[in-house]
Amino acid sequence: MVRARDRGSEHKYLAVRAYLSELVANELSVGDAVPSERSLTERFGVSRMTVRQAVDALVTEGILERAQGRGTFVAPPRADFEMRLTTFGEEARRRGLTPGADILETAVVPAPRTVAEALDRDVATPMHFVLRLRTADGTPMSLEETWVPVDLAPDLLSDGVPESIYGALRARGLDPTWGEETITAADATPQERETLQMQGSHAVMRTSRRTFGGDAPLMYSRASYRGDRYSVFVPLREARPTLVPRTRASAPAATTPAGRVPEGSPR
Amino acid sequence: MTPSDADIAASILAGLGGVENIDEIDPCTTRLRSLVKDPALVDPALLRRAGAFGVMINGRVVQVVVGPRVDTIASDLAELM
Repeated sequence: MVRARDRGSEHKYLAVRAYLSELVANELSVGDAVPSERSLTERFGVSRMTVRQAVDALVTEGILERAQGRGTFVAPPRADFEMRLTTFGEEARRRGLTPGADILETAVVPAPRTVAEALDRDVATPMHFVLRLRTADGTPMSLEETWVPVDLAPDLLSDGVPESIYGALRARGLDPTWGEETITAADATPQERETLQMQGSHAVMRTSRRTFGGDAPLMYSRASYRGDRYSVFVPLREARPTLVPRTRASAPAATTPAGRVPEGSPR
Repeated sequence: MTPSDADIAASILAGLGGVENIDEIDPCTTRLRSLVKDPALVDPALLRRAGAFGVMINGRVVQVVVGPRVDTIASDLAELM
């Protein structure tokens, strides 16, 4: 049942939007068409503009997508990629998506300062560089730049860009074991919007990652993920206890035990 | 060749200006976030030689990237502090 609240167009807009969200969540499948503008107009007794506003909002959120001249359809769900030491392809496959990559550029380049510092090399040290458009089920998901020191794996790209650079590193005994990634929200540049085929929202998540194998920095990468197609999943755990010098942790004459890592504290 | 975690902890403490210079150290998943009394006493080069993969200094906050060994290093630091 439709419960159109009659408290001004703002509420009507919200009612249409809530109705469509419910429909997408409970009744429709990915790729199904949503009810036409005309039927929504009649159903809610609102103007076509109000209906369009509600649909636009859901397109911007990435819940619906427009196909030129064909109508408005339920968009595929966002991919919730976990922040862990995996590659795009591995994460996509684990979600039942088929990963793909368009190689936009590949070269050996002198390391810029940021890259050199991240990989613990001198500025201008030769680096394998790859720029890829990553896709999932054919939909553009992210633009990814990757740098690997040539001295680590001179022949890394000699047979073309491997499907997985982590895989190619592992094949050379350079197993990625840990890393650090920084995520920043940003507006896509015009070129990014075009390459990523972004129609609604212009929001992207930019990441920069240092990948290590034990003590050795192996790879530096930067990516821009579509904000409307991608969510980040971060497992959380209890924070470790803070360490304070015992001189301050204990009263001058007291004999409290030192440090502050209590027995059985979470690792 | 690889220094022990206890040696690394001792060198990191020295690089941070010694235990007297520490207000607190917060062990994160791959980093030690320290609040120091006087940032001028921090020696980034010494921290790097101690095995840190990166050192970020912002005011009195010094972040030392140590990687997944942070757990054992934190335990060793607790002993030394």
